[in-house]
Amino acid sequence: MAEEVIRGIDVLVIGGGLAGTLAAIKAREAGARQVVQVDKAYAGRSGCSACAAGVISSFLPEEDDREQMFTDMVVRAHHLCDQERLQDHFDDFPARLKEMEDFGVGFERLPDGKLQRHPGRGTGKFVMFHGGLQMMGAMRKAALGAGVKIVDKTMVTGLLTRDGAVSGAVGFHIPSGEFRVFGAKAVVVAAGRCWNKGRNPGNRSATGDGLALAYQVGAVLEGLDQARWNNMAARYDIGPGMNMYVGSGGFFVNSKGERFMERYHPELKDRAPLNILTPSFAMEARRGNAPIFLDLTHLEPETVLRFKRVIPMPMMMFERVGVVAGDRFTRKVEWEPAAIQCDGGLKVNRRYESTVPGLFACGDAIPPGSGEGQRALPGAMTSGGRAGRFAAEYVRECGEPELEREQIQVLREETFAPLNRNDGIEPDQVLLSLQEAISPYDVLILRREERMERALRTVEEIWRDQAPLLCAYDPHYLRMAHEARYMTLVGMLQLRSALFRKESRENLREDYPLIDNESWLKWVTVRREGDGVKVGAEMLPVERYPVKPKPDKTLHPLWQRVEGMGIVKIEQGEVRWA
Amino acid sequence: MGVRKIDLTLCTGCGICIDECPMDVFRMDDEKNKAFIKYLRDCQSCFICERECPEDAIYCLPTFERRIPDPW
Repeated sequence: MAEEVIRGIDVLVIGGGLAGTLAAIKAREAGARQVVQVDKAYAGRSGCSACAAGVISSFLPEEDDREQMFTDMVVRAHHLCDQERLQDHFDDFPARLKEMEDFGVGFERLPDGKLQRHPGRGTGKFVMFHGGLQMMGAMRKAALGAGVKIVDKTMVTGLLTRDGAVSGAVGFHIPSGEFRVFGAKAVVVAAGRCWNKGRNPGNRSATGDGLALAYQVGAVLEGLDQARWNNMAARYDIGPGMNMYVGSGGFFVNSKGERFMERYHPELKDRAPLNILTPSFAMEARRGNAPIFLDLTHLEPETVLRFKRVIPMPMMMFERVGVVAGDRFTRKVEWEPAAIQCDGGLKVNRRYESTVPGLFACGDAIPPGSGEGQRALPGAMTSGGRAGRFAAEYVRECGEPELEREQIQVLREETFAPLNRNDGIEPDQVLLSLQEAISPYDVLILRREERMERALRTVEEIWRDQAPLLCAYDPHYLRMAHEARYMTLVGMLQLRSALFRKESRENLREDYPLIDNESWLKWVTVRREGDGVKVGAEMLPVERYPVKPKPDKTLHPLWQRVEGMGIVKIEQGEVRWA
Repeated sequence: MGVRKIDLTLCTGCGICIDECPMDVFRMDDEKNKAFIKYLRDCQSCFICERECPEDAIYCLPTFERRIPDPW
């Protein structure tokens, strides 16, 4: 295979979603001369952003009570949240929103010129834009306009290091199979989400690439035990939009036709945040009340027409299968957790620098630790902006990194190894094995040690026995093979991390039903140690934070709720199903 | 089925679908100067190709290309 070497890069951004694009733009604005944004597909089209529904959880200083919103977010995250980064998020959000509109992202405005707000899940207030495709089209143009060099169709397969600091990356160009070497003073990882190719169009390219790459060079990953599931149509391949649906009066029913969310979260009901909603689905399944349906058949025509503006893609898809006809929903839609997703990321400081010098991260490649305000699009906006700026500041002090030929050669062999295995295992086989191990609701949604141990043993077997035999018929399959490898690695680290946390918090454990603020106001961390995995925990510096948790142990509110409903009993410190 | 078909009477070979597909599903038939579906199994039904095709030559259906295990 031919080889192309691109040297002289100040900041290399991996990932073409909103976080990566903003990081690239902000790195240029902060003075980085050569900024390269690399994407395995097409920057502005791959990843989750381009398929995002048209809502962003927002903070508008002229309308919102910042302190109240801040506290709500911290409390909703059960205090597992970096409050300093969350303050930075609130500081930056209004400016990023304005810039995006200046870049040409279309937002819904009222006749008086104000941004139109919309309720969604939880207590957050959303602003509406005209779908991910329009947004990311405008953002790609803005990046090109800012002088960012975009390299599409190039999958990164390894990070380069020199004297412990990052010095670039290697990968391959998918159409030609050409090997590519990037010499860079700083690298920003903006390709972190791992959706395990589940139910959610637009997220099947989010395969944990950035996490796996960073782990391989020794970066500490954090919060991989945390998982929050989105929910999607079960039998149609239709993407996000649930915030709009439930925010506009849509509701869920179980197989008996009961509106069960009224019982699981009497205040917000179907608009309960995901960390309540998805476990409630799982409990209904545990009680034999699956499948679950989303009912939108009662919505008024004007609501449906608004959906068509704000979430045009899912609406077009629903029309194609007859679920939407004209301005009405014609029938209920079966609904399920999208897939097992991993919410962890690179441990970063307030400058979004990881534990590896020169390696920065943003968007969904950082832990959920910045609270709900820093997940998904809002988090991508503010963390992307900062990561790009700080990476540009970092490179001012750096000389041109030397590239080590030997290191490149090893990575080159690893990159192309699946192409040489004609009798190997197809990526799809590995993917299916992985999904079957981790997708059942009683592994990572409703957690218990034995079940997670069993899943971990299976995933470890896949990693040990199947991943080294992955084969690829051509460079397209080579991408799929590396994705399967990344997802397996992340799945293994996720289960190891989840087993380590012995309490309920963001996620529910049957064997540890308490939120334990005495022992577990901690991040679970994981890093590579030789060929082994080192799992540990780090205290949150709550003494520095404005919103203080009570240092006590309390039954998780959802366990409390369902105990009251008579679904479970708490006996000898464990949950027993009635 | 995800992406179902490219209408070859409409396709002008502009290559936008090939460029923009997040899952690398399309390739170009250089001889005929038409795009074709090469890796259907990896289609994620995102409809980006259909939306972006300037000739309205692409038709998609939001159905699964591969079995995804149910959570229950």
